[in-house]
Amino acid sequence: MATKVVMEALSPTMEEGRVVEWKKQEGDTVAVGDVLADVETDKAVMELVARAGGTLLKHIVAAGATVPVSDPVAIIGEPGEAVDGGAPAEKPAADAKPAPAPPAPPAEPPSEQPAGAKRAGREGETGASASPGAPAPTAEQPAAPVTERPAPAAPAAAAPAPPQGGRVKASPLARKIAAERGLDLQGVAGSGPAGRIVQRDLDGLERKAPPAAAPSPAAPAAPAFQPSGSGEPFEDVPLTQIRKTIAKRLAQSLGPIPTFYLTSEIDMERVADAREALNALGQGKVSFNDITIKAVALALKQHRACNAWWQDDHIRYWNDVHVGMAVAIPEGLITPVIRYADQKSLRQIAAEAKELAGRARERKLTPEEYTGATFSVSNLGMLDIEEFTAIINPPEAGILAIGRMAERAVVHGGAVEVRRRMRVTMSCDHRVIDGATGAEFLKTLKAMLENPLALVW
Amino acid sequence: MRRLLKVVHLGRSPYAEVLELQRNLCRQRADGLQPDDLLLLVEHDPVFTLGRGTRPGSLPVPAEALHARGAALYEVERGGDVTFHGPGQLVGYPIIDLTMHREDLHWYLRELESVLIESLGLLGVRGERSQGRTGVWVGDRKIASIGVHVKRWVTLHGFALNVSTDLTWFDLIVPCGLPGVRMTAVAAEGGAPSTVDAVRAIVAPVFARRFGLAPILTEAGTLRPCAAVPGA
Repeated sequence: MATKVVMEALSPTMEEGRVVEWKKQEGDTVAVGDVLADVETDKAVMELVARAGGTLLKHIVAAGATVPVSDPVAIIGEPGEAVDGGAPAEKPAADAKPAPAPPAPPAEPPSEQPAGAKRAGREGETGASASPGAPAPTAEQPAAPVTERPAPAAPAAAAPAPPQGGRVKASPLARKIAAERGLDLQGVAGSGPAGRIVQRDLDGLERKAPPAAAPSPAAPAAPAFQPSGSGEPFEDVPLTQIRKTIAKRLAQSLGPIPTFYLTSEIDMERVADAREALNALGQGKVSFNDITIKAVALALKQHRACNAWWQDDHIRYWNDVHVGMAVAIPEGLITPVIRYADQKSLRQIAAEAKELAGRARERKLTPEEYTGATFSVSNLGMLDIEEFTAIINPPEAGILAIGRMAERAVVHGGAVEVRRRMRVTMSCDHRVIDGATGAEFLKTLKAMLENPLALVW
Repeated sequence: MRRLLKVVHLGRSPYAEVLELQRNLCRQRADGLQPDDLLLLVEHDPVFTLGRGTRPGSLPVPAEALHARGAALYEVERGGDVTFHGPGQLVGYPIIDLTMHREDLHWYLRELESVLIESLGLLGVRGERSQGRTGVWVGDRKIASIGVHVKRWVTLHGFALNVSTDLTWFDLIVPCGLPGVRMTAVAAEGGAPSTVDAVRAIVAPVFARRFGLAPILTEAGTLRPCAAVPGA
């Protein structure tokens, strides 16, 4: 059964395309996905790809011809198969005749296209369809055998306007515009190929008489209730840019990201002692947050599966560790990034975190300073939050929510002791991180903080 | 989620070399061997190129006359008519996977125009569209040309923005097949800065923002094809 190849719409606004060059000749065997021709619309050239296999029986139009979208340009079928129903452009009367043989089914691409063939022939394309080898160094023959576009004015005679009530030939764009503007296409003289009505034919057309206006509804009854006091039931505050961005990104996160949470309580006695000793050196203060960032970075280095981005069609595992650090600012929050945190000393991290947070509050960060994190941390310990869950900052796959360090009664070495403890909760994008994967990362992190020598090991 | 735009500065490079590079990158992008969209930015040695829409008569002088002035001549797969590239012109070749954006060629052409118009605005030049004449115009003068090719919805070729171009080169041809068209450049319109390097630094981020991508500067040497999904 022969299949018509039609001019495809490479853009919703495309009305016609020019066949620049046939890549397959009549008699050639074609497979699904083969490039049949190059098609030009506006200043873009794209390939017309075969949606059916067989033999290219006929070029309905020659190279250089301009063809309306959806009109046939070629026929593919079995070798020797009779070709008919070919060229409406050449014999417009064909429309009226009852088709003698079943005309080729209005083929077509959408239905026959295999589900995966959105990018037609991704696998199938032959290696080099561009002009082969070195570009031609001569100019006498510009490649395209140029034919002029059909003169737009003539068709009024060639294709009489359809009778009232008959089918109107119009391009999809013209139909859309007509619908939007309430125009009646009946009787409009089309200046496109074969008398088709195109966009330019709509200029200056009047709207259809609007339907009789609906009777206006009765005037609303006087409100039975007057607002009290100063009157305003609410205040509308326009969204600031940062609020909009936060909303967009957080909705992106909680919506499509299948998140799960892992919580661990970490004994901070040794870290607290180590920090005290470090700060006693008088060479700058180190916070629990700094120490946690360093530990997170080192743990990520050991668990690359958690140091990753979800990329829709792939996962990007990062080799270096760039830790985003959520900082509250009056307008919202922002996440400056400590780059290569795994390779920096605690003192460097402390200095950088302080400096970045300071400039974040002054809104002086440049975009590259708050983008590109591979994992983030958010700390609400200073606000006395025991534990919480943080929202993943896509495309990152995880974020660690750090609660306050608190003295708690715990069983330690067989006795109840008061010890300083801290709870952390990791939010994981399950598309990237599985439960056990995240748990192993947390286990490493806990081990490091409970034995801070690991941080300098 | 923001995907990346790898911005590659090729400096001043011969046309043939860059043509080969963009064809390879386009194929790799379509095959899934380049994980990110790319924007190649380059300044060419003098060269005339003939697109698929080239009309007879757009190149009225013989090839020898062009060679005599030190210009090369190539026939390429992009849409559009004849054009010129040379020193003082910023040429951009985006290798963009339109399946990740919009499968719409006209949309893509209009987006390229928007990128150039916005960039020109930052240089103090008021660029505009001209209905039915793809490219960017300052009044009736053409300042930027566009011609693209799309294979499996991945783009190649792109745009050429005259910054400080010697406009007499265009006298040898009928630019874009539009008889009587006058060409112009950023410098000729009083825009500043008007060096290719400075304009490049403006166009790249504007392009990235327009396409919703995060720009990162990338060395050409690091663009080896690689599988998109590494093991965990």
